[in-house]
Amino acid sequence: MVTADGVPHLPNWKVAGILSVMESDPWLQDPGDPRSELAVADEARQRLADGLRLPTGMHSVLAAAVAIQVTAAAYGIAAQTTAGLAVALAGVAVLMAVAALLLYRFRWINGVRVDGLSSQIVLGTGGTSTLIYLGGFGAATWAAFESRWWLVAAAAVAAGIGYAFGTLRWWHAYRHDPASHAGGVSPRVLATLALLACLGFVALLIAG
Amino acid sequence: MAKLDPLIHVPARLQVLTTLSAVSEAEFATLRDALEVSDSVLSKHISTLADAGYVRSRKGVRAGRRTTWIGLTSTGRKALREHVAVLRRLIDMVD
Repeated sequence: MVTADGVPHLPNWKVAGILSVMESDPWLQDPGDPRSELAVADEARQRLADGLRLPTGMHSVLAAAVAIQVTAAAYGIAAQTTAGLAVALAGVAVLMAVAALLLYRFRWINGVRVDGLSSQIVLGTGGTSTLIYLGGFGAATWAAFESRWWLVAAAAVAAGIGYAFGTLRWWHAYRHDPASHAGGVSPRVLATLALLACLGFVALLIAG
Repeated sequence: MAKLDPLIHVPARLQVLTTLSAVSEAEFATLRDALEVSDSVLSKHISTLADAGYVRSRKGVRAGRRTTWIGLTSTGRKALREHVAVLRRLIDMVD
């Protein structure tokens, strides 16, 4: 269709169709009501967070890895020998390997990386998990010095469960408010910390 | 007083940045599915936001496939926070 001034125009039925699509598709809309803009954006964010899944058995595996690490560390500290330090280092290596595997699985399953989760799994940055972990670690170390190995095992299991419970609590908080809990220590910083921890243990082994 | 950011004022870009605020990094396909848009539309908006320094993208691999990973930059996070604050003030004024 061409108007009197020679400029081509779409017929009305086509224009109506296009406008209808623009009105119903937020991706083509101009800015409008701030309330609905925010609501639609929040819905998209929540849709992403709701779709995320943890690797199967993550909490059990994490609890077991922490229990192994605490047991190994308690034994190593109490033994005060080069072999004991090697055992403690092996415990840290097990925990780091399990953490790396879990984080890799999470990223592979969901197609996202969440540094808040990395901090929880590798560093146990939640207040509850840190307290329970430190309590269990202290009790296990004391029990190892006293050669009460059943108490070492019990304290290590408690530390593992507490650590995993902290991660579970964080996960629920994240699902409720993803933006506030997504942040954490980046993988680069975590790798640097892990490397420093390993170097520290190696230095202790050499010094011992 | 902070003003509305013209770049984020487009609803689609507000959705992209808000969704990215839930993660540290998201694969392009994951973001596309969450936003329920086509590759080309999302790609166009990501490109605009990347030019402004609001998002960063990098190539990676997932399940043996080459993929693009996208994340908010600190500039983008700050811009989003300020834009949302202004929108909320506008809503309060209307209420």
